[in-house]
Amino acid sequence: MAVYESELPGVGKKYEIDLDDGSQLVVVIHNTGKRELFIRPEPDADSEKLFELSDKLARQVGTIMEGAYFQPIKTDTIETVLSEESLIEWVKVPAQSPVAGRTLEDAGVRVKTGASVIAIQRDGETITNPTPDTTLRPDDTLVAVGSRAEHDELESFVAGE
Amino acid sequence: MAATPLVEVGAVFAAAAIGGAVAIRVGQSVIPFYVLAGVLVGPDVLGQVGAPHVAPGDVVTVLAELGIVFLLFFLGLEFSIDRLLASRDRITAAGTIDLLINFPVGVVVGLALGWSVVEALFLGGVVYISSSAVITKSLIDLGWIANDESEPILGTLVFEDLVIAVYLTVMSAAVLGGGDSSAVAVDLAVAGGFLLALFAVARYGTGIVQHLVDGETQELQLLRAVALTVLVGGIALEIGVSEAVAAFFVGMGVGSTEHSDDVEHLLMPVRDLFAAVFFFWIGLETDLAAMAATAGLVAVLVVLTTPTKLVSGYLGGRRYGLDGRRSFRVGAGMVTRGEFSLVIATLAAGGATPVLRGTIPSLAVGYVLVMSVLGTTLMTYSDDIWERLSGA
Repeated sequence: MAVYESELPGVGKKYEIDLDDGSQLVVVIHNTGKRELFIRPEPDADSEKLFELSDKLARQVGTIMEGAYFQPIKTDTIETVLSEESLIEWVKVPAQSPVAGRTLEDAGVRVKTGASVIAIQRDGETITNPTPDTTLRPDDTLVAVGSRAEHDELESFVAGE
Repeated sequence: MAATPLVEVGAVFAAAAIGGAVAIRVGQSVIPFYVLAGVLVGPDVLGQVGAPHVAPGDVVTVLAELGIVFLLFFLGLEFSIDRLLASRDRITAAGTIDLLINFPVGVVVGLALGWSVVEALFLGGVVYISSSAVITKSLIDLGWIANDESEPILGTLVFEDLVIAVYLTVMSAAVLGGGDSSAVAVDLAVAGGFLLALFAVARYGTGIVQHLVDGETQELQLLRAVALTVLVGGIALEIGVSEAVAAFFVGMGVGSTEHSDDVEHLLMPVRDLFAAVFFFWIGLETDLAAMAATAGLVAVLVVLTTPTKLVSGYLGGRRYGLDGRRSFRVGAGMVTRGEFSLVIATLAAGGATPVLRGTIPSLAVGYVLVMSVLGTTLMTYSDDIWERLSGA
């Protein structure tokens, strides 16, 4: 995927994103905060305006698009960036994981990896704010906050590597 | 009209508001309609039929001057040398083509009319400068903003902004320095020193400017920014420097502080308010008889300077690697002339000769009226026109 950024002097910035079907999504962010979305069916076609959003609404929609509220696909490649230093990742607990059957405190997840488990997804339900004595089970998906390095630690730790 | 100033100012805003509403209704830009509103409620139309009308006076003039000051303040605020340098090759190429093709047309016409060099240079400026305000708005309205043609158009406008800042500085020295030669030398030295000092503060005194506009609340920040801009503009005028140029430098200075975005947000409505009065005032000051007298010349200029912008824009678009249709759009996009042509004409009106005082301002009003409507229309139908041109 390629994203092209260009300056629109006096207006704002323009982002062009190549989509899989050869079309382009064009996002114009105005200096006033307004976002305009266009679709360009082919690279040399005219842009057709889809809709526009206010600054506030765009942020809300953006958060939804990012998957902060709902992640349909649970793989270890999904991550939500909160800031440069912290992101949210989803880690699956394998069947033979050394942490399976142990509590968060027992396993020492945060002490050993630095990442904090903020939620556990289990059988289609989400346990938010798990306590230190919440027991981890095989096939749980841990939702954790931490730096990229801490996430790497967590992933190998849960996998028993 | 023997009304209290408050009624007068209210009438000014009401007339401009009605003009603007009509403009939106007929799908045109607001600037020519503000001007027309000024003509209509002024002494030449309403006044002629004996109806209550708005007379040109000190109050409206001051509000209009605030309009010029804030228009140029924003030009400086949004002006960025870095931006120009970031894609300097293409912007410079397209901008230079635009300058070399369009500016001389006005100068040559002026000289052909037997005008002096200064007078001809003013005409060059009036026909050269495209309207950033109208064109940018049309780009957004037409959805071209997301297309490739927006970059050469906006890039060329940035280049024009730079040229116009230098141009206004030079031309205001030429106009405001009248009188006998020794006095002129002193005036020019004072004016030059003032501008140099302003420029130095804008370029290197970011800390000072930052401190000056750093208000504790939004309200105080607004007051500080307005006070700084208007005071510097006023002082400039007092010592014989164009208030527009001074405001440009203030804008440039504020633009390099961290408060740039805040000030832009706070002052945008202020600019829109007073700019509307400025355009209205232009209409109010317009002498219909003088305007009618320049109609022939306006027609000549329209015929000459519409194709030149189409050609220069087309060539500029080609420089950006666009195809024929899009390059033609760039040309159509650049045709509109507006606010800065009127600012130049206002500067010319401060001159000593009849051409500067009368002909150029009257002509500029007619020219901007035609070119703003023509330019917006050309943009709307550019694809059809291009098909005819390339198909034939």
